[in-house]
Amino acid sequence: MKRYDLIVVGAGPAGLSAAIEAARCGMSVAVFDENTKPGGQLFKQIHKFFGSKEHQAKIRGYKIGETLLAEAADAGVEVFLNATVAGIYLDKEVLVQIGAAMEHFKADTIIIATGAAENMVTFDGWTLPGVIGAGAAQTMMNLYGIKPGQRVLMLGSGNVGLVVSFQLMQAGCEVVALVDAAPKVGGYGVHAAKIARCGVPFYLSHTITKAEGSDCVSGVEISQVDEDFAPIPGTQKHFDVDTICLAVGLSPMSQLLKMAGCNMVDDPRRGGQVPQVDENGETSIPGLFAAGDVSGIEEASSAMIQGRMSGLAAAAYLGFLSEQDKDNRLADLEIALDSLHQGMFAPGNKGKTFTKTDEGIAVSQSLLKKGYLDDADLERFIHRSDQTDEKSGIHPVIECTQNIPCNPCQDACTRGCIKVGKTITALPRIDATISCTGCGMCIASCSGQAIFLVDEDYAPGYASITLPYEFLPRPQKGELGTALSRSGQPLGHAEIIDVRSAKTFDQTTLVTIKVPVEQAMTARFYQPETNAAGQ
Amino acid sequence: MKSINDRSQDIGPFVSQTDDAIIICRCEEITKGEIRQAIHDGMFTVNEIRRYLRAGMGLCQGQTCGKLVKNLIARELNVIPDQLDPATSRSPMRPMEMKVLGNEEVSHV
Repeated sequence: MKRYDLIVVGAGPAGLSAAIEAARCGMSVAVFDENTKPGGQLFKQIHKFFGSKEHQAKIRGYKIGETLLAEAADAGVEVFLNATVAGIYLDKEVLVQIGAAMEHFKADTIIIATGAAENMVTFDGWTLPGVIGAGAAQTMMNLYGIKPGQRVLMLGSGNVGLVVSFQLMQAGCEVVALVDAAPKVGGYGVHAAKIARCGVPFYLSHTITKAEGSDCVSGVEISQVDEDFAPIPGTQKHFDVDTICLAVGLSPMSQLLKMAGCNMVDDPRRGGQVPQVDENGETSIPGLFAAGDVSGIEEASSAMIQGRMSGLAAAAYLGFLSEQDKDNRLADLEIALDSLHQGMFAPGNKGKTFTKTDEGIAVSQSLLKKGYLDDADLERFIHRSDQTDEKSGIHPVIECTQNIPCNPCQDACTRGCIKVGKTITALPRIDATISCTGCGMCIASCSGQAIFLVDEDYAPGYASITLPYEFLPRPQKGELGTALSRSGQPLGHAEIIDVRSAKTFDQTTLVTIKVPVEQAMTARFYQPETNAAGQ
Repeated sequence: MKSINDRSQDIGPFVSQTDDAIIICRCEEITKGEIRQAIHDGMFTVNEIRRYLRAGMGLCQGQTCGKLVKNLIARELNVIPDQLDPATSRSPMRPMEMKVLGNEEVSHV
């Protein structure tokens, strides 16, 4: 039987972070993961992360994964892949399938970071090939380079549903509709706005009533639901699709913890069966910890912090770290975790409805119902500070209207034109006294793709709009296409007058279009004539 | 609060529903109607449903249908799902071939 100071189950963001911290404290650490590749969901996350610098905001998930793997290797962590933990027994004995044999390991501390599995919903035809989880779609596209289908309907408007919808379009699929039984969009408004301006219609208070097809999905029927989420007869709508994606939440994969004998609770706010844990993730069994989604569904940024915390706590438990060092280092991580737990989408605010932002501005109802800011809502957010004096020339327009923990835009502007302040959930403010150079760093830094540079004085009768563009092929300067509104409606011709990509933009292309000046505050996306953007 | 394990409670008669033919447990192909009928036969826990119908005992070990089965039981018993215990967790956590499970590596002893 092989012995380690720490055994970590799961090589995702939480597990790797835990292993790194523990190994750096001098512990011998083994990580087991049943998958062929390490990193958990990180290598499927091709979007830029939210948060602030300490949370690795504006860095794409797969790059964070690469960094974690390199750090783990440097720290001397042994990562076993294709290694399935079959059971955890008394005195921290772990039985693992490695290859075609079972091996026994023993550790003085264990951290379970097994993550979560996707929930399913049932409807007529839900077992047909072509009905897949959003995570499965992401795996196919981003790990294996396979398009899940041509025409997709997405069920679920949480961040997973929104982010994967956008990725489906990036992969060249057409997303015909986004459907959610809830009366409002569940995820970040900025994620919703990204897909709404590509022309994806939102059907809130709707659900799937039937997947059509005999051998595989050939269509889908959705219906409006009443207040009790029951479909209303006569409201059916049909879409021709070959794929139905389900993004209806995650459940912690906590079976190992239950098997080990930890006290468990059923907490719907944390996603289901979760272990009782203290602030560092220690369960009711001393020396056995849980970190990441397995102890409550959140996202990768908080999973990494929780992982680090449990790794340090495990090190202190075995005396590899003094209590004082532990307390000092945990205090910093607690602050970092706490800042992610703020704002409208904080775990503690699940199910709450906000009518006003922290700044006292009425929230955009159209963003919650249709996925985009309508012009009336826009006034409240855009004309707050920068439009009072008749400023001319290029200036940023920030369409970030919800209190979410994110602030890279603040550091992006070298001139200090954009201010979020100490509270990272505050809405960014524009300092109109500082003139904008149009460098575009703010656009590329915004993980929500919610910053635009507008110049109403580009040419007589014309405005220029610089927008973030993450589709291939990249538009070419001089190309003619169509300007789209926030709801994806064609507004008229748009000419590409500049295309910028730079290493610091990290694959976000800055596309500048020329549109009639009256579209300066309405045109927010560009559609090439070739229809190559997936819509 | 009434005890979920009170088997003398009257949960009413089994009334068929239009979507009873929907499969809930994909691995073992158990339908919603079969599970609802089993509850009316007196299977009030996820474990009992597993033993009675094999729902949740296939390849995915209830990873997909565990929550769905729990919700069905909760609805028939008129309780909230979190009051019901999930299925017992036991080794092997994942489906494993017997020849692998029986092939213990002893070289590290």
